[in-house]
Amino acid sequence: MVTDFLKTCCADPMKLIGEWFVILPALVLLLAAAAAVVMRNLIHAALLLTLSFIALGIVFIALGAEFVGFVQLLVYVGAVAMVIVFSILLTKPDQLTKSRNLLSGFAPAAGVAVAFTALAALLGFIFSSPLAKKPMPAPASAPVAAIGEALMGDYVIALIVLGILLTAALVGAAVIAMEDKP
Amino acid sequence: MTLQILLAISAILFAFGLAAALSRSNAIMIVIGIELMLGAANLNFIAFWRFSENPSDLAGILFVIFSIGVAAAEAAVGLAIIILVHRRIRSVEVDDASNLKG
Amino acid sequence: MISSLESAPIDVLHWFLGLLGSFGVPAWILAIISALIIIGTIIGVFLSLFALTSVMERKILARVQNRYGPNRAGPFGLFQPIADGIKMITKEDLVPRTADWIVHFLAPVVMMVPALLVLAIIPYGRDMVPAELDAGILYFFAVGAGTEVAVFMAGWGSNNKYSVLGAMRAIAQMISYELPLVISAIVTAMISGSLSPSAIVSAQGGFAFGFVPQWFALTPWGFTAGLIFYICALAESNRSPFDLPEGESELVAGHLTEYSGFKYATFFMAEYVGMFAICGMFVTLFLGGWQAPLPFLDIIPSWCWFLGKVCFVAFTMIWVRATLPRLRIDHLLAFAWKFLLPMSFAAFLSAACWHYAGRGPLAWILSLAIVGIPYLLLGNAFTNRFSVSRRTYLFSE
Repeated sequence: MVTDFLKTCCADPMKLIGEWFVILPALVLLLAAAAAVVMRNLIHAALLLTLSFIALGIVFIALGAEFVGFVQLLVYVGAVAMVIVFSILLTKPDQLTKSRNLLSGFAPAAGVAVAFTALAALLGFIFSSPLAKKPMPAPASAPVAAIGEALMGDYVIALIVLGILLTAALVGAAVIAMEDKP
Repeated sequence: MTLQILLAISAILFAFGLAAALSRSNAIMIVIGIELMLGAANLNFIAFWRFSENPSDLAGILFVIFSIGVAAAEAAVGLAIIILVHRRIRSVEVDDASNLKG
Repeated sequence: MISSLESAPIDVLHWFLGLLGSFGVPAWILAIISALIIIGTIIGVFLSLFALTSVMERKILARVQNRYGPNRAGPFGLFQPIADGIKMITKEDLVPRTADWIVHFLAPVVMMVPALLVLAIIPYGRDMVPAELDAGILYFFAVGAGTEVAVFMAGWGSNNKYSVLGAMRAIAQMISYELPLVISAIVTAMISGSLSPSAIVSAQGGFAFGFVPQWFALTPWGFTAGLIFYICALAESNRSPFDLPEGESELVAGHLTEYSGFKYATFFMAEYVGMFAICGMFVTLFLGGWQAPLPFLDIIPSWCWFLGKVCFVAFTMIWVRATLPRLRIDHLLAFAWKFLLPMSFAAFLSAACWHYAGRGPLAWILSLAIVGIPYLLLGNAFTNRFSVSRRTYLFSE
């Protein structure tokens, strides 16, 4: 059947398109994230952040973690990005560009310096570690059924705690943002 | 491709997030920076799961799922606080929220 | 070459690929050609459905409102889509001077991409799923989330207060209705034990007593979840009575105010394709997908059943649009959070009880009770809250 035919041809997308399937979205991710960080216009920053979330989701899918990639898209693009955009709109869109920018003044420059020191240290560790030189193992996949079994089995307490946390966050956010009754 | 490349990508992403969170004065930009850092951490988990000896051990995947859930809660509460602060002081700049400063 | 009508589309595809293969075309090119043919067919079918619906909708609305509707272009006005298309393409493409032109330009593109991508996982017939994904349902909702971004981009990029207001309403509405939508879809995944649409369809196969189809819509929890899914689908595709993001009487056209020409046509197209996709999902999840409603009707090919069901659901959506007035924004959000969300949780619980009570008569009573009691309580509370006073017409007698 058609699906079987496609399956045999595209059973391993990594083989078909090679490593570029990971590298390209990763490049998009880094460019979009960098642009989001330096952008003066908040809405543009939020939209670029959305793009970087999409790219991150695609990287997850390309690495074989389909389920996590879809969850990433659903939660970040569908919810988090929209909540960020919504709160930008609710907090005076006409003052968008008044914000302090990167490298203007002492404190922001120090922040950027700290970030780049951290980056240098991290990269140093990464490239000196023997662990990191491992070649890529055979393609792995995480079947949805196995994830479901694990969530309802070994990790059920964490799942319930996460549920309680999310409920508390929902109620808390609603209460915090509620208009004070005069 | 080696694990190094993925880890380096994630480190660069983390640095971008850190720079945004430390040096931008707009509270919403700080939230954006924190989200980027969380994304970098998630990428690390997935990369280590992909390169692990035993990919049927799903700990890396499950940790990312929980981390995404926590990030969603954090964004919701953080942005609610920002909206409340904006209602009180008419600004979302963190420098302006200095009522408790001695 | 064609063994039966049932597998005709697949047979034709295989025959064509075999023909190419006999000319010595390498396998990887065949794979790409096969994928392109499948994509082209799906897009072609859905775009012609869109063209047909755009005229049928106006005809049906006109019928309901006791007038003729479009009847000038071609027989019965059937060539109206062509006339509309020519009008749209030849119109001037306006971009407001103060608009954020790059966001304004990208919004229709971003709108179209998810509308087409979600078509990939819908089972159109027996063994006719373009992309067999393990987490198909999740994919559907994950990709569908892109629509919200597009609506926001359109509203904000236009730099127009009506557009921004419309976009904010649209996002508030989409986020609110996304929750019951996803939860009611998850209920079916829970009962069939899989997130893959084709597994959910095959879980609805077979007939009770030899003639009653075992579709999920015909169980207490499935009926509730299906109704919730249908209402949320109306809201997600911005259709009446939930069309107040683009409510003409208040917001000109909401986020579409500043769009003209082909960009507007793209939005229009994406909205209709998205509507068909979500109708397809509704049919897949609750109405048995491509399964025939009665055993002896199996002779009609499965993909005909699927298309027929989708067209029927789309028809009911048009019917609803012709019948119901538009809601107010606070009523709309209150309805999602205070009624649909608790009811979808009730359906969730009811489905769990149904499964563990053995799916027999006891399961029927239990799940009916779990769905029915919250419905009565919530419904009562709602009618008290929004009680309508009787109107008196002084001068109309």
